[in-house]
Amino acid sequence: MKKIMKKIMLSCDKATELIEKKIHFKLSLKEKVQLAMHLAFCKPCSNYKKQSYIIEKTVPNIKFKEIPKEDLKPLKEEIIKKIS
Amino acid sequence: MGNNNLTEWVNKYTDDMYSWAFFKVSDSELAKDLVQDTFLAAAEKISSFKGKSSPKTWLFSILNFKIIDHYRAKVKKPYNTDNDSISTFFDENGEWRHDKRPQDWHENNTNLMDDEDFQLVLKKCLDLLPSNWNTCVKLKYLLGKSGAEICEQMEISKNNYWQMIHRAKLSLRECIESKWNRD
Repeated sequence: MKKIMKKIMLSCDKATELIEKKIHFKLSLKEKVQLAMHLAFCKPCSNYKKQSYIIEKTVPNIKFKEIPKEDLKPLKEEIIKKIS
Repeated sequence: MGNNNLTEWVNKYTDDMYSWAFFKVSDSELAKDLVQDTFLAAAEKISSFKGKSSPKTWLFSILNFKIIDHYRAKVKKPYNTDNDSISTFFDENGEWRHDKRPQDWHENNTNLMDDEDFQLVLKKCLDLLPSNWNTCVKLKYLLGKSGAEICEQMEISKNNYWQMIHRAKLSLRECIESKWNRD
């Protein structure tokens, strides 16, 4: 039984790839069904899915680097010189 | 519209444009270059600016193009397409390797997203990604557009794009799991 299921079901590699595809593009009906079936049985991939969404939603909240306070006067003068 | 306006805009908007560019590229010299390039481009096509949008909006749209160009050039650099990274996570049947299986984080999603420690760990892990993936992940949020639109703008295939994201996510997830202290 396990072997038959494995034939029909996605591998974890493929399933996690579809999880990413789903976030960025649309899945076909077949892919949707396959993924849902896989996730119903596979705890690690379900964890992956939850965590992938958490990462997805957290990245925009990150402050990447403090913007350094810089004197931009020389830059402005240089630009003005170049465009005049 | 003439160069007088442009000079005024340089004085008025350079600070905001620099901050924006720096936020997107995390590099002070590069940010300055991008701002300068933007004004040079603006000077060239000033006659096409009809005042339909505000000057600020117009300048920022040029700046965004410059930023995207920068990332596009970066992503175009050849990268390793072998499957080494995938096979560190999955065995030959595509099943999780035992020690690579995602563990349950036992956390409520909404809490994590606002958790500053978690954000810090994620940021550290992002910096550890190979630069192509890092670029790809940043791009997604830089452009704030759908995957399809990003592919079109970046001139990369859909497969290529989500495979890069897939690998980036696998690494990110594992990195977070190993670095993040859940007590």
